[in-house]
Amino acid sequence: MNKKKKIDFKSVANVLLPLVLALLVGTVIILCMGENPITAYIALIEGAFKGKLKLGTTLASFTPLLLTTTAFIIAAKAGAFNVGVEGEVFLGGIVAAYIGINWTFLPKPLLLIACFVGAILVAALWAFIPAALRVYYNVSEVCSTILMNSVALYITNYLVSGPMSAGAANAQSDPVTVTLPQIMKPSSLNIGIFIAIIVTLLTIYILNKTSLGMKIRMVGTNPANAEFAGINPKHTFIKAMMISGAIGGIAGAIEILGVHGYFLNNFATGLGTNGMLAALIVKNNIVTAPAIAFFIAVLKSGAMGMQQATSVPKSLVDTITAVFIIFACMELIGNIRKSKKKSDEKKA
Amino acid sequence: MELGKIFNSSLIYATFRSATPIIYAALCAAITQQADILNIGTEGIMLIGAFMAVAVSYLTGSWLLGVLVAMVSGLVIAMVMAVGNIKFKSDICAIGMGINMFALAITKFLLNAWLGQSGTFMSPDIKSIPKVHIPGLSSIPIIGNIFNDWYITEWFVIVLIVVLWFVFYKTVWGLRLRAVGRMPMAAQTAGINVNAMKYQAIAISGLVGGLAGAHLSLGYSTMFVENMTSSRGFMGVAAMYFGGAHPVFTAIGCLVFGFTDSIGARLQAYGVPSQLVLMMPYVVTIAVLAISMATKMSAEKKRKSSLVSH
Repeated sequence: MNKKKKIDFKSVANVLLPLVLALLVGTVIILCMGENPITAYIALIEGAFKGKLKLGTTLASFTPLLLTTTAFIIAAKAGAFNVGVEGEVFLGGIVAAYIGINWTFLPKPLLLIACFVGAILVAALWAFIPAALRVYYNVSEVCSTILMNSVALYITNYLVSGPMSAGAANAQSDPVTVTLPQIMKPSSLNIGIFIAIIVTLLTIYILNKTSLGMKIRMVGTNPANAEFAGINPKHTFIKAMMISGAIGGIAGAIEILGVHGYFLNNFATGLGTNGMLAALIVKNNIVTAPAIAFFIAVLKSGAMGMQQATSVPKSLVDTITAVFIIFACMELIGNIRKSKKKSDEKKA
Repeated sequence: MELGKIFNSSLIYATFRSATPIIYAALCAAITQQADILNIGTEGIMLIGAFMAVAVSYLTGSWLLGVLVAMVSGLVIAMVMAVGNIKFKSDICAIGMGINMFALAITKFLLNAWLGQSGTFMSPDIKSIPKVHIPGLSSIPIIGNIFNDWYITEWFVIVLIVVLWFVFYKTVWGLRLRAVGRMPMAAQTAGINVNAMKYQAIAISGLVGGLAGAHLSLGYSTMFVENMTSSRGFMGVAAMYFGGAHPVFTAIGCLVFGFTDSIGARLQAYGVPSQLVLMMPYVVTIAVLAISMATKMSAEKKRKSSLVSH
C-alpha cells in the first residue's frame, strides 16, 4: 500500500513539475513582451469558463480531444505510436457527412447510426494500412501515419471542394440531414460528449478487464513473451490500431454531426496532435489522461480570450503546451532522485 | 496532353530542385540513425531553421548570417532532444514529436510577436542564397539548361552527401558511430563513449537540419510560411529508411519524391485537381517505403536461411 502511494506521488510530481516549468517559461515570455502575466493567465481562465457560451465551447472542444487521447493510448498500449489519429478523424468526418447528406432513404435514427458505423469502418480500415505495413513489412508506423495524415487531409480537401462541395466560397459540404442534439446553447456542446465519455469508459474496461485488453498490454510490453504465451502479436497489434482508428472515426462523426452540421474543410486540424500530447504527458495512463485532455481544451479555448484581453498572441499557449510536453516526456523526478541517491552513496 | 511538355530536359533540374530540401532532411535523419536514434524531430529542427534564416536575413541583410544562425538554432533544438533522450530517458518518438509541436508553435509565435506578421512573411529585404552562374555553361544547349544557376546550397548538398558517405564508412569516427548504432554494449566494451557519440551525432544532425530549413526558406523559396516544411522532414525520415541511412541511397530515395513532385506540378496545368497532385508525393513515399522495407526483409530472410543451410 505504502509503495503504491509512493509511485502515485512520483507520477503526479512528474506531471506537475513540467507544468510549473512550462508556465514559468510562459511567464518569462509574457514579461519580455511587457505584459502582466497574471492578467494574461486570468484572461485565459475567464476565456475558458466565464459564461455559458465559453464553458460550453470548452466542453465541446474537450469532446473530440478525449476521444483522440483515448485512441492514441489504446494503440500505444500495443506498442504503436499512432500519429495518424488526425487523419482518421478527418476521414470519419467526411464519411459521416457523406452518409448524412445522401442516405436520406433511411429513417432518422437509423441514418444517425449509419453515419457512425460508416465513420468507424472507414477510419478503422485506414488505420489498418499502417498497422499491416508495420507488422508485415517493418515500416515505421510513426512515419507512415504522419504521411497518411496529409493524404487523408488532401482526400477530404478534394472531396469538399469538388464532388461534395456546396458551392459556397468556403470549402464546405451541404448540411447533413441528421444532427446530434445540442445541449448548452448558444455553444456547440452536444450529446457527443456523453458518447465520448462512454467510449472512453468502454476502452478503459476493454484494456483492463477483457482478454483482448490483456493481450494488447502484453504485446505492448513484450511481444516476444506474448508470442511465447500463444498470442499472435501481429494480429493483436493490428486490432489495437483498428480500434484506435475507429475511435478517431467516432470523433470525426461527432464533430460533423454535432458541432458543424456540415463538413468543413480542415475542421480537425490539431485534434489528433493535441490528443497525442495529452496521452504523452501522462505516459499513456488512460485513467489520468482525460484530465490532461480537459486541461488542454481549457488552454485552447482560453487562448482566444487571452489574445483579445491582452496583446499576447494565442500561439503562445501552443508554445507553453509544447514546452510542457517536452518536459513531461523526460523523467525529471526519477533522475533527480537517482542522482541524489548516487551522491549519497558517494558520501557514504 | 503532350508528353514532350512533361518529360523534357528541365524536368531533371526540377526534380533535383524539389528534392534538395528533402535530401537535407534525410541526411539530418541519417546521421542519428547511424547511432540508432530515430530523429522524428527533423521536421521541427528544419522549421526553426527556416524561420531563423528568414528572420536574420531580413534583419541583417546577410544570407550567410541567416544560414549560420539557422544552423546554430538547429543545433540548440537538437541538443534539447539529445539531453531529453540521453540524460532524462524520454522516449525518442515522444520528445521528437514534442520538438515538432514546439517548433510549429514558437515559429508562429515569433512571427506574430517579433516580426509582427501572421501566416506568410514575404519581404524584398529578405536576402536569398545566391545562385552560381557559370558564364561559359549557358552557351552549351542542354547541359547549360540543367546545370547553370543552381543555388549554392544545391551544389553543397552533393558535397555533403559525399562527405557524409566518407565520414560514415571511411573514418574511425564513422566506424565508432556505426558500432554504437549496431550494438551499444559491445561498443562500450571496446572503449567507445556511447553517450558522447550519441551527443555528437545529434549535434551534427541539428546543424544539417538547420541548414535544411535555411535552404527551404532562403533558397527553395524566399519567404517564411507557417508550417512551411509541410512534412518534408518526415519524407526525409522515410527516405532515410529507404536508403538504410546510407547517404547516397537515401539521396536517391529523395529524388524519387522530387520526381513525383515536379511531374505533379506539370500535370496540374492539364486540369488534374491540385489536391490529388499535392497528395502524390506522400502516397509515393508510403508506397516506396513499403516496397523497399519488404525487399529488405526478404533479403534478410534469404541471408539467414543460407546461413543455416551451410
